[in-house]
Amino acid sequence: MEKLSYDAIVVGGGLAGLMAAHQIASAGFKVAVISKVFPTRSHSSSAEGGIAAYMPGNSDPNDDPDFMSYDTIKGGDYLVDQDAAQLLSEKSGEIVKIMESWGTLFNRQPDGRVAVRYFGGQTYPRTRFVGDKTGMALLHALFQRVSGIGNVDFYNEWFSLDLVTDNKRVVGVVAMEMKSLNPVLFKARAVVMATGGMGMLYSHSTNAYINTGDGYAIALRAGASLKDPEFVQFHPTALYPSDILISEAARGEGGILINNKGERFMKRYAPKKMDLAPRDIASRSIITEIREGRGFPGGYVGLDLRHLGEEYIKERLALAYEAAKTFSGVDATKEPIPVRPAQHYYMGGIDVDITGKNPDIIGLFAAGEAACVSVHGANRLGSNSLLETLVYGRETGNSVVSFLRDYSGSTSDMEKEAEKVVEEIYRFTKSETGVHYGEVLNKLRDIMWEKVGIFRDEKNMSEGLTEIMKLRDMVPSMYVTDKSSVYNTEFFNALELRNMLDLAVVIGTTALNRKESRGAHFRTDYPERDDQNWLKHTIAYSKGKTVEITYKPVKMTKWKPEARVY
Amino acid sequence: MVEKAEEQKNLAQLEEQEITVKIKRFSKEKGSWWQEYRLKVDRFTQMTEVLRRIKTEQDPTISYRASCHMAVCGSCGMKINGEPRLACKTLALDIVKIYNSSTISVEPMDYFPVLKDLVVDLDEFYDKMFKVKPRLYPDKDVLEGKVDHRLKPEDQRELWKFEQCIWCGLCVSSCPAVRIDPEFLGPAAHAKGYRFLADPRDTIYEERLKILIDSSWRCTYCYQCFNVCPRDVEPVTTIKKTRAHTKFMKEKTKVAETGEKHIESIVSSIRETGKLEEAKVYLSTYGLLESIKDMIYAMQNGKLKYALVQDTKVKGLDQIKKIMGE
Ligand SMILES: Cc1cc2nc3c(=O)[nH]c(=O)nc-3n(C[C@H](O)[C@H](O)[C@H](O)COP(=O)(O)OP(=O)(O)OC[C@H]3O[C@@H](n4cnc5c(N)ncnc54)[C@H](O)[C@@H]3O)c2cc1C
Ligand code: SF4
Ligand code: SF4
Ligand code: FES
Repeated sequence: MEKLSYDAIVVGGGLAGLMAAHQIASAGFKVAVISKVFPTRSHSSSAEGGIAAYMPGNSDPNDDPDFMSYDTIKGGDYLVDQDAAQLLSEKSGEIVKIMESWGTLFNRQPDGRVAVRYFGGQTYPRTRFVGDKTGMALLHALFQRVSGIGNVDFYNEWFSLDLVTDNKRVVGVVAMEMKSLNPVLFKARAVVMATGGMGMLYSHSTNAYINTGDGYAIALRAGASLKDPEFVQFHPTALYPSDILISEAARGEGGILINNKGERFMKRYAPKKMDLAPRDIASRSIITEIREGRGFPGGYVGLDLRHLGEEYIKERLALAYEAAKTFSGVDATKEPIPVRPAQHYYMGGIDVDITGKNPDIIGLFAAGEAACVSVHGANRLGSNSLLETLVYGRETGNSVVSFLRDYSGSTSDMEKEAEKVVEEIYRFTKSETGVHYGEVLNKLRDIMWEKVGIFRDEKNMSEGLTEIMKLRDMVPSMYVTDKSSVYNTEFFNALELRNMLDLAVVIGTTALNRKESRGAHFRTDYPERDDQNWLKHTIAYSKGKTVEITYKPVKMTKWKPEARVY
Repeated sequence: MVEKAEEQKNLAQLEEQEITVKIKRFSKEKGSWWQEYRLKVDRFTQMTEVLRRIKTEQDPTISYRASCHMAVCGSCGMKINGEPRLACKTLALDIVKIYNSSTISVEPMDYFPVLKDLVVDLDEFYDKMFKVKPRLYPDKDVLEGKVDHRLKPEDQRELWKFEQCIWCGLCVSSCPAVRIDPEFLGPAAHAKGYRFLADPRDTIYEERLKILIDSSWRCTYCYQCFNVCPRDVEPVTTIKKTRAHTKFMKEKTKVAETGEKHIESIVSSIRETGKLEEAKVYLSTYGLLESIKDMIYAMQNGKLKYALVQDTKVKGLDQIKKIMGE
C-alpha cells in the first residue's frame, strides 16, 4: 500500500478541522487535511443563526463571560464541564475577531462594528451573524484562509477508513481516494478527528446527507471512548418533508403551532410559555399530537404565521418564508408551514479534555461536533456549536503543536494492520450476494427515530437495541452491487452504514443505561432529573460486540446545579 | 384568517404522483447510457430526495453528490430537463408542471469531464477559483490584532452579495466564453475575484487588477451565468464592475486595451452627439451602457487615490452623467 508521511493528520474539513489544521501548519508542522467532501461542502456550511461571542466593548454593558458560562451550563442541564464552558466564553470574542480579520463578512452596526442579536437561552444578546448564512460565511472565509498558507495538503474527496494504532499509540490513518478507490496509509504522530455529526442515523434530521458519524465509529474501533453518547438533540421545527431547519425565530416572532383541527395545541402542554416552550418540550408536544392522530397526513403539524401579515413575515421572517417557498412550495403568508421535529445535533462525542486530547490513545485528538469536550452537556444552546468548533479547533491545534514538539512517535511500521483494514472492506465488493445496504440503512434510521428518539423508555429501547444488534450482525454479509472502480458511492455508503451501526449500538446501550431524564435525554419511565445518581458523564467503549460503560465526574467550578426552568 | 376547511385542504394536499426519471449514466467500465426509474413523489419532493430514494430503494449503483440539502453547500449541480440546476433546490413536481410532462431527465453538468453518472471532475473549476487568490489579505496590524476592521453596513451588503458563491460550478458549466477561451477565468472566479477587489479591507489591489482585468474583457455578456446561479451572485455584474477598474491599471494587456477603447469611443460619441437613444440602439447591449455607469461609480466610490490620478477624465464623465440623467 502507498504510504505518505505527515506530522499530523486532520480528518475533516469543516470549521473545527480547518481551524486545527491552521494552528498546526502555522507552527511549521506538515499537515494533511482529509475530507470526504470538498471542504466548503462540509456540514458547517448549513449553520444559519450565528455564533455566540462576548466581545468586550461590543456587548451589553452588563454582560460578562461568567453570564455566558452560566447560560451554557444551565442550558446543558448541568452535565457541562464548567472549566470547558468558561474557556469557551473567555475565548469567544477573540475568535470572532480572528474570523473577522480573515474576511468573514459579519453583519455590521451603523458605526462599522460587528452586529449582535439575541438567541434562545442567552441572558444578554451575544449572537454574531452573517445574514442567515453564518456557517457558510465562516466556512468559506476559513477555508480560503487555510488554502493560502503553506504546510497544508488537502485530500478532498478522500474517505477515512480507520485509525492505525500501535499499542494505544497513533501511527496514522488509512484513507481511500473516492475517485480512484486507491487506499493510502497516512502516517503521522498525531491525528485530529474533526468529522462532524451523525444526523443520518435518524430518519428525520436537519443534518447534511454526509453526516454519518464516521469519526465516532473510527475512534470506537480503535479503542477510544465516547463521552455522553446518549445525548441527541432534536429540533421541534424542521420543514416537512425535507427536514430543513426552520429557525426558532419563527416562533419567537409570533408564529404558532397548530394541529389538523386548527387548534393551538401548545396551550395544553405549556400553558404559560405556549409556543415559546423550550426545544425539547415543543418537540415532544408535536410528536404527541402526531401520534394521537392530530397531525396532517404524512405526519406533521402547521407552523402558522399568517396572522402576522405579509409585510411582517417577509421582513422579519425572511428565511423561514424563503425556505418554505423554495423547499416545500408553501407560501407562508397564505398557508401554515408544514413542520415536524428532527434530529439536529449530537452532544456526545469522542472523549477529550479541554486541550482536545483523548485519554485512551496517545496522539489522538478530536474537535468540533465529533468531540465531546463537555461544553454542551445534555443539551446544546443555539449559537454555541459554531463557537465550539472554532475555539476548540484552535485549542486542539495548539495542543497538537506542543505534543508534536516533544513526542517522537512510534517507530513501528504497521503496514500489515493497514492492509487488514482494506482487506476487510474489500469483502463488500468481492461478494456477489448478501444484504444490500439500502435495506439495512432505512431500517436502522427508522428504529433510531422510533425507539431511541425523542421519547425513550426501557421497553422500546431494549427492543430497538436488539434490532440494531441484528442489523449490525448483517454487516459481514453486506455486499456492493456496483463494481465500478471510479467514484463508486455505493461502496462508500456501505462503509458509512457500517460506521452508523457501530455508533447506534453505543447510543442505544447508553441511553438504556441512563435511568433519568436530563436535557435532550427524555425517558417516560424516569421523567425526572436525578442528580444524586446521574450527575456524571457516561464513558463508553466498544468491546467486541458489547459496550462497556464507565463514568467520569462532571467538573464543577462555580455553579451549583439548580432546576432548569425558564 | 383563512377558513378552517380551506386550511385543511391546503395542508392535506399530499396527493402522490408517479413520475419517470431518466438518468444519464456513465461509468468508466460500461460507457454511457440512459436509464429510467419510476417512483411516486408529492409536491414537496426535492430532486435530491428523488435521487436518494432511487439509490436506496431501486438502484444503488447511481453516483451523485449531495450534502446539505438546503442549497448552501454547492454539491448537487446537474442538468434537470436540460437546465443547469441545484437538485436540492428543485422540486420534482415543479418541473413536471413547467414542462407539462411527468418524465424528468437528469444529466451531469456540461463542460466538466464526467467521472461517474452525475459526478463530474471539478479540478479545473477549483484551479481557476484559486487563481484569483480567493482570500482577504488584510493589513498586518489587523492580523496581529492591534487594530480592528470597521466596515460600513452598506459595504458589507454589497460584498456579501458576491461572497455567497457556493462553488457549485453551474455558471461555468453553461458559460460559452470558458469553452472557447482558456485565458478566461470564468464567471465564478470573477465573482470571487471582484468580491476581494472591492473589499476596502484588502491590501493587494494592484495584484488583483493584474489577475482580473484582462480576463474580464473576455466575457461575452451572454448573461447565462446570471440566469443559472442558484444564489443570485450575478457573476456577469462583477465582470462589468471589474472592467470599470481597467482605468486604474498601469500596464494593460491588449485585450483590456481594446475593450477599454471600445467603451471610450462610445463614451465620446455620447458626449459629442448627446443622442442617448441613438447610442443605445448602436450599442444594442444593455451591458455596455451599464459598464459606463459602473465606470462613473468606480470613479466616485472607488479607491480615492486612484481616482485622483484620473482628474481630467472625471470632467468628461460628469457630462455623460448629465446626459444619462443621473
Ligand atoms: C441546519 C443546522 C443549522 C445550524 N445552525 C447553527 C447555528 O446557527 N449556530 C451554531 O453554533 N451551530 C449551528 N449548527 C451546528 C453546527 O453547524 C455544527 O455543529 C458544526 O458546524 C459542526 O462543525 P464540524 O467542523 O465539527 O463538522 P462538519 O462541518 O460537519 O465537518 C465534518 C468534516 O468531516 C469530514 N468527514 C466526515 N467523515 C469523514 C470520513 N470518513 N473521511 C473523511 N472525512 C470525513 C467531512 O467531509 C467534513 O469535512 C447547525 C446545525 C444544523 C444542522
Ligand atoms: S455573461 Fe460572461 S461569464 Fe457569464 S456566462 Fe456569459 S460569457 Fe460567461
Ligand atoms: S457564481 Fe453562482 S453558479 Fe457560479 S459557482 Fe458560484 S454559486 Fe454556483
Ligand atoms: S445538496 Fe447542498 S447545494 Fe444541494
